Amino acid sequence: MEAIDRQLDRARRGEPEALSALYRQLLPGVFGYIAARVPDRATAEDLTSDVFLQMVESISRLRANDEASVAAWILQIARVTVAGYYRKREHQPAFVSLEPRGWEEEESGASRVISDSNPNLDPVRSAEARDEWDTVVKAINTLTEEQRQVLVGRLILGYDVATVARMLGKKANAVKALQFRALQRLQRVLGKQRSPEQAYAFHRYRKEDTL
Amino acid sequence: MKPLPERLNERLEQHNARSSYGEGVPDWLLSPVHAPSQDPEADELVALALRLQSAPPLQVDPDYAWQLEQRILTRNAALHLEQPVRGWSFPRLLRAHPVFRVALSLCLLLLLLGTGVLVAAAQMTNPDSPLYVVKHWEQQVQVSLAHSPENQAHLDLQFAQDRLKTLVTLADAAHVQAYSEALVELDQRISAAARVIDALPAGAEHDRVESQLATLQADARHTLRGLLPQLALPERLLTTDELGRLGDTVPHLVSAEIILPAHPNGQAVISIAGEDIQPGAQLLVDSRLMDVRGSLQNGWYVFVANWVGNQHPQRLGILNPDGTAAQTTTITLNSSDDHGNSNHGGNGNSKGKP
Repeated sequence: MEAIDRQLDRARRGEPEALSALYRQLLPGVFGYIAARVPDRATAEDLTSDVFLQMVESISRLRANDEASVAAWILQIARVTVAGYYRKREHQPAFVSLEPRGWEEEESGASRVISDSNPNLDPVRSAEARDEWDTVVKAINTLTEEQRQVLVGRLILGYDVATVARMLGKKANAVKALQFRALQRLQRVLGKQRSPEQAYAFHRYRKEDTL
Repeated sequence: MKPLPERLNERLEQHNARSSYGEGVPDWLLSPVHAPSQDPEADELVALALRLQSAPPLQVDPDYAWQLEQRILTRNAALHLEQPVRGWSFPRLLRAHPVFRVALSLCLLLLLLGTGVLVAAAQMTNPDSPLYVVKHWEQQVQVSLAHSPENQAHLDLQFAQDRLKTLVTLADAAHVQAYSEALVELDQRISAAARVIDALPAGAEHDRVESQLATLQADARHTLRGLLPQLALPERLLTTDELGRLGDTVPHLVSAEIILPAHPNGQAVISIAGEDIQPGAQLLVDSRLMDVRGSLQNGWYVFVANWVGNQHPQRLGILNPDGTAAQTTTITLNSSDDHGNSNHGGNGNSKGKP
């Protein structure tokens, strides 16, 4: 496998293969980070596109030479992009769309989960699943930025503690503590908002998926 | 027992290790209510983490991923079209390789330091040093960059003063060539200053700079006169010449006449016409000092010297008691017969030369 510094050099020079490789490497983390923060898939995909287009335009100025620094850089772009999205929403009047909502109109993502879990496309179940995910997004939005980045680095990008520590400029123990507090808080927030049964519905759906 | 964050992390690491070996997630982990583990608190959090990790809303749709990749590559291509092919560009090289940036910074620093040290060292050099070229160049640049004639005159005077100081250090037999060069430069600087001052409009500034020039010239006369006893004859002649240009009273020879003896080993009579030849002046024949003293007769300074052979001198001159010297090549040759009568045989009528 090509060393990250050489791959970055080539990406900085605009070589398509290197850019593609970098994109494929970072896409799950960026999309996961954004999708965990916005209410629907369409918005998550739009914002993810914005992030990667910005990456292409500014990568020639990137100084990072290791994977952790690149991840920190792209997540910083993602953070600003999501913040911009919420800022715009504050200034826009609320409206009710006549079109189906993002996750519903997809043939993939959450709706696929629903279809997997219920081949008959039960609308009640679909709405329940959508509301469940909205709740998760709200819970994730209550985390601190560092907690969110730890979860993305550890769970979605699959980095070890040392890499996430470099990404955030923290010590390994601090990352473990952030990871613990993030999950504990999610558990608490999700638990508060639901009955005990609902609190574990999130887990139950997953279990049903596997059946 | 380890703290909960540590235990949680270990269990996540174990899960990741299992995933990397292709093992599935244990069923009990996804349902913490029924977990058989000894650490239910950690298990609940791990289950939540794994659920998040595999939550479908967080997974990328492959079609979307492919379309976005195409958009990115298209945008990248467009960007490269917008920026004409730059090929090897120095700024890009610097951006891409921090090593180049550091190396360039070091080179610039060394260059600046080196130039600074070189120029500083050159300030203390004299014409026989290789660094003198740097000093000369730096002064030339300063003069050419002078923003006004007054400033240029000041610089010329300053550099002339500098040459004068240098001359003091070179007034010995070991620095003959360097002394001559410094003397020429002193003359050039003073002449340049005088030219610039002449061109200045009348006024206070003109008078001030002119006064500085006069002071420098007086200082130079005094210094050069003090150096005369230490100099060899060729440098004395040059210095006398310079003293004359500085307005000092120095001997000036117009012509010379020599009556050679009729027989070898006779006495030659040498008559020299000129100005400011002092009583007690000694005779110079072809730049050699003859141990004879002359006397003033009818406006001519006449020497009688023992003459060996029939050689004709090319240059005749005098050395005044104050150390100034002058020579002439305008020599009229006469030879005397057995009766002491002279026969005219001049060698030209060129102007006398000190």
